[in-house]
Amino acid sequence: MALLQIAEPGMAAKPHQRKLAVGIDLGTTNSLVAAVRSGVSEPLPDEQGDVILPSAVRYLENAIEVGMVAKQSAAEDPFNTILSVKRFMGRGLADIKQLGEQLPYRFADGESHMPFIETAQGLKSPVEVSADILRVLRTRAEKTLGGELVGAVITVPAYFDDAQRQATKDAARLAGLNVLRLLNEPTAAAVAYGLDRGAEGLIAIYDLGGGTFDISILRLSKGVFEVLATGGDSALGGDDFDHAIATWVIEQAGLSTNLAPSQQRQLLQLGCAAKEQLSTQASVTLNYGDWQGELTREHFEILVEPLIARSLKACRRAVRDSGCELDEVKAVVMVGGSTRVPQVRSAVAKLFGREPLTDIDPDKVVAIGAAIQADTLAGNRGGEELLLLDVIPLSLGLETMGGLMEKIIPRNTTIPVARAQDFTTYKDGQSAMMIHVLQGERELVKDARSLARFELRGIPPMVAGAAKIRVTFQVDADGLLSVSARELSSGVEASIQVKPSYGLTDGEIARMLQDSFQYAGDDMSARVLREHQVEARRLLEAVQAAVTEDGDRLLDAEEREVITAEIGKLKDLVDTSDASAIETQTKRLSHVTDAFAARRMDASIKAALAGRRLNEIEE
Amino acid sequence: MGTLCHFALFEIKPAFKLDLEQLSSRYRELARTVHPDRFADAPERERRQVLERAAQLNEAYHVLKTPSRRARYLLSLKGLEMSVEATIQDPEFLLQQMQWREELEELQEAGDVDGIAPFKQRLKKSQAELETEFDSCWEHSSKQETAERLVRRMQFLDKLSSEVRQLEERLDD
Repeated sequence: MALLQIAEPGMAAKPHQRKLAVGIDLGTTNSLVAAVRSGVSEPLPDEQGDVILPSAVRYLENAIEVGMVAKQSAAEDPFNTILSVKRFMGRGLADIKQLGEQLPYRFADGESHMPFIETAQGLKSPVEVSADILRVLRTRAEKTLGGELVGAVITVPAYFDDAQRQATKDAARLAGLNVLRLLNEPTAAAVAYGLDRGAEGLIAIYDLGGGTFDISILRLSKGVFEVLATGGDSALGGDDFDHAIATWVIEQAGLSTNLAPSQQRQLLQLGCAAKEQLSTQASVTLNYGDWQGELTREHFEILVEPLIARSLKACRRAVRDSGCELDEVKAVVMVGGSTRVPQVRSAVAKLFGREPLTDIDPDKVVAIGAAIQADTLAGNRGGEELLLLDVIPLSLGLETMGGLMEKIIPRNTTIPVARAQDFTTYKDGQSAMMIHVLQGERELVKDARSLARFELRGIPPMVAGAAKIRVTFQVDADGLLSVSARELSSGVEASIQVKPSYGLTDGEIARMLQDSFQYAGDDMSARVLREHQVEARRLLEAVQAAVTEDGDRLLDAEEREVITAEIGKLKDLVDTSDASAIETQTKRLSHVTDAFAARRMDASIKAALAGRRLNEIEE
Repeated sequence: MGTLCHFALFEIKPAFKLDLEQLSSRYRELARTVHPDRFADAPERERRQVLERAAQLNEAYHVLKTPSRRARYLLSLKGLEMSVEATIQDPEFLLQQMQWREELEELQEAGDVDGIAPFKQRLKKSQAELETEFDSCWEHSSKQETAERLVRRMQFLDKLSSEVRQLEERLDD
């Protein structure tokens, strides 16, 4: 394993020094890491010069293989080789069975209902498998860029729900990556096209990946990327094309549908290869055992037609949601390897009435865009040129009486967002209320995805309908939800950072972190100390700069004295090895500068408007 | 900013007729200053504060750019909080409401995809008429009841529009 460069305490990167940040496309089939170097965003190659890392992980007794080596052993060692793990992220066992295919894995239930896969290294959750892929990419980036990363932007399908997003973030944490932002894949692609190719106006991003389909409608104007609507199908992808061919072979060859895992794997590989060849050839000869058959492109198109039709339907819906018409779309961008299938391109061209854009490699465009965003977030570009306004893909709401879902935040609402709604009790003297958080578009609770349940207790006795319970939903810029409930007359409160029903429990995460540190030869307590030191320095840097800049204007003498004293205390502590003292003092400093920070933020809003007014006068 | 009225936040005079271009360009300027992306590397406390402000800004923008919400908000600024349940009788509009609904049901039963576009156009026209009417009366305290009635009509048409969208979706299956 490569040695990582770790800055000495007190020798942290200078503020003006370029910070290393990467964009990671954690795909169903393939994953990539990209970075902006000398002003150009490009994927980083491994030692063999390959930029694409197959999203395949094989667990041997004493080793973990990731990438091409693992992918190639899939047929020979199906139980221990995990492919397309992204399809299991944030999903329960029941969901996975619904994916409608035979999977060659042995699943076991974990304490959190998250499915675990039995491997030669014991039980592995989809989050851990994803973390193993991310770890390889992190190592590759640190080696290539020559330093420790400040963070990464990781892309997720726009259509990912809260559970799937949370799972992705957990995987990054296990891999030792600081997530600067979860970015929707189509938005990342739009950034790549918008910034590198100067696209403007209304654009559609058609993203058909290995396991998911996404469609987004965005308005691009002078560096502002405003997502108007997004939609898709989180269980539709290029893998389904392979399945369609494999199923056809099974029928044609008269095979039993009860195949051994290794046979299934072989058939899928056969299907995948045939699909790729049919992008350039009119027909392909398939061999399986004694059976041989010919698949023409025409017949292949009949097989996949229903799949493509599903994607087009989602496109029409997204356009409707955006409030625009199909013919207003000025450009259609193709993303994902499956958009190489000619049938897909022609169907999309027909729907939008224009040839789709394919000039940036559809396999790389997401990672390229993510790296640009990472570079911006790390502060290397200056915030002025790029602004992403994204939306939530699915409506969020609560269960109400009668098994109905009451929507609190409708889909395609710009994030971050906070909304509140008041509810009341239905029985006299009711002292508790169950809050059941849901995600989805349907009216009935049973059709929605259950995200979390929690209880508000201690409501003072009142007649039915008298209590006023305000439930507040907040979605952050990563699209992650937290919910709080409060009885207004008594102030009784309960809140939850939504832990998805199929997410990992805190206990599981702690154990996995422990495991991953052992594996990486890392020391947990050293890591905790370093994290606190980083946060402390970050705060020190921010507060000192703020005081220099605005102290005279926004602080009175007394406030300034208090802040200066707390700064001094934290400075004295930051290089010691007392993690908990550093943490406490960081919190103190943060606390005494709270009001100051708020004042500064409001002043900067005023300044933004004032600056505008000045420009208007000049015009 | 938390206590500022939505109009003040955008530094626009409270009015029903708004320059939407101006509103959206100011929104973008403000969004740049408080977008969480600009604070990705900031201390946790600042990230929390900026998240709240960005959410407030988005909410204000959402209210101001949606005519029925803007109308309702203007009335609330004048101290008129509309209750959730409809209390004002509006027999004249009730009749129209029923006609709209019947037509929509007919479209649905006939599976008439081509009939949707003209229906949507008429809906848009009615919405525009309501907006003009509201604009001319909301400021007069003697016409508050009318204004409130108009807001309820707007809300009904909003709901109808979303039902039309759902119908389009079903017919697309």
